[in-house]
Amino acid sequence: MVGLVDCDNFFCSCERVFRPDLAKTPLVVLSNNDGCVVARSREVKAMGIPEGMPYYQLKEKYPDSGIVAFSSNYALYADMSARVISILRGEAPDVIQYSIDEAFLILEGMEGLDLHKWGEGLCRKVQKCTGMPVSLGIASTNTLAKMASKYAKKYPGYNKCCVISTEEQRQKALSLFPVGDVWGIGRRIRRKLEYIGVNTAYDFASLQKDYVRRRFHVTGERTWKELQGIPCIEIEGLEGVSKKTIVTSRSFPEMIRELDDLRSHVANYAARCALKLRRQNSVCAVVTAFIQSNHFREDLEQYDGSGYHSFSTPTNTTNEIVECAIRILDYIFRKGIWYKRAGIMVSGITPANAIQPDLFEYCPERRRRFSEVSAAIDRINSRMGADTVVLGTQQYRERSEDGKSIKFVNAIRRAMKSPDYSTRLGAFVVG
Amino acid sequence: MHCIMNLLQLYKADITTILPLLIADGGIRAGFPSPAQDYVTESIDLNRTLIKHPASTFYAKVVGDSMSGEGITEGDILIIDRSIEAQHGDLAVCCLDGEFTLKRLCLNRGNSIFLMPSNRKYKPIEVTRDNDFMVWGVVIYTIKANRRRLSGTERW
Repeated sequence: MVGLVDCDNFFCSCERVFRPDLAKTPLVVLSNNDGCVVARSREVKAMGIPEGMPYYQLKEKYPDSGIVAFSSNYALYADMSARVISILRGEAPDVIQYSIDEAFLILEGMEGLDLHKWGEGLCRKVQKCTGMPVSLGIASTNTLAKMASKYAKKYPGYNKCCVISTEEQRQKALSLFPVGDVWGIGRRIRRKLEYIGVNTAYDFASLQKDYVRRRFHVTGERTWKELQGIPCIEIEGLEGVSKKTIVTSRSFPEMIRELDDLRSHVANYAARCALKLRRQNSVCAVVTAFIQSNHFREDLEQYDGSGYHSFSTPTNTTNEIVECAIRILDYIFRKGIWYKRAGIMVSGITPANAIQPDLFEYCPERRRRFSEVSAAIDRINSRMGADTVVLGTQQYRERSEDGKSIKFVNAIRRAMKSPDYSTRLGAFVVG
Repeated sequence: MHCIMNLLQLYKADITTILPLLIADGGIRAGFPSPAQDYVTESIDLNRTLIKHPASTFYAKVVGDSMSGEGITEGDILIIDRSIEAQHGDLAVCCLDGEFTLKRLCLNRGNSIFLMPSNRKYKPIEVTRDNDFMVWGVVIYTIKANRRRLSGTERW
């Protein structure tokens, strides 16, 4: 079974942990320059205020509503997120963070356990230890687990945890769920579906498989299968891209204990996040890096490290994000641990054209140079193939057979490419 | 007087740093000087010694004087662990009607809850059903600066 933990109104809840006087006050969190609303508490959502509303409009339209506004405090949110994940890792067999406020739980080896009871306890524990209210959905596939978490959040009767395990529960859950809210169904597909009279997840799951594949391709078919209860979206390597966060995390084929080896992985994940930021033309304010030992190897010493850094001026350049990720890694790295997974999360995402430069630390010349390097890397890589040009830190080290010398190999192994070329160019970019 | 001591600032606990310092392992006696201080062997890292649950540990600074009777005064740093189940007699950061207050918990059998100050200027507060009350976290350590500048607590 798979679980999905979702924090309730994450940004607002973070603020409330330290401001219990605002427990019932309508709250909003504003974007970087206090421009517009990026997060709303339950009360504000109930008032019908949409996300993204400019703050001045909010003040004009709702002068006496008693809404309290907070400027975004991304460092706080990154810290609270790490706390929640850390508690989850103490309880579930395996945890994969999907965004700043969501994580998948791999619930293997828990057969025979009352999952609903276990889930309720887990949510209670997270709430008690961190102050963060969370909802948990448990089902046989990721898509169904995500659906279950929405039920858990919406209906207090579930006591924060909804389990879809029987066929009857699955069918009922599908029939009451709007198809547009299904994980993986975007706005475009939703319109197509509604056009042909598919309104609920149940309607969608009742379509013929061949038809789904023809009309909605492989991704649509995957979602369709997942709704049937057949797992086919691999969480491992799944890259969470949302409005709030981008996460790149992987587990290594073999466990790693050398800092240098970890550095290459972390640098690549960071570079990937930076590339995604540039693709969607946005910048991030915070970089979080995490490293984890192998929780399935109880005979080994366990350690989960995570740390974050917030930029005084948000960025999307590979140089800055990779450099920052490596600095965090060096800080959280502990010797003597066998590491199994690492990841990078960028948060505090805003449009690139709305950057507010920091008055004291921002150096336009340095930023311009990095931006140009990143743009050049993107151009070359889009023409010659991904990872043709990488930073020196992104290169994987490989020891020669006698173990004496170390050579560099490409970030992603490609037999057709000449590693020397890439090595030199990579080193040049860093220098 | 119903006085709430505000804990104005809460801090996250950064325990990623390691700073092992030598410890005199004979223990320091508060009474007579002990001659056995010559074996300084072990070292202690305060982060590892004091903080057992980093994910649920927060720091706060004391404001006000309602706990001064037991030596907790303005500017002291509290180490709060939210994961601990509060018990009778615990020093706890409580949240009463939306405000933070630092008190000792007096949990009686008749299910009544009193929040006990340790300064005679303040009276115990009884928590009733009309109050919105929760224990925010249990204070596991108090860190006190024993050298204070005349200007007060600004040194933190």
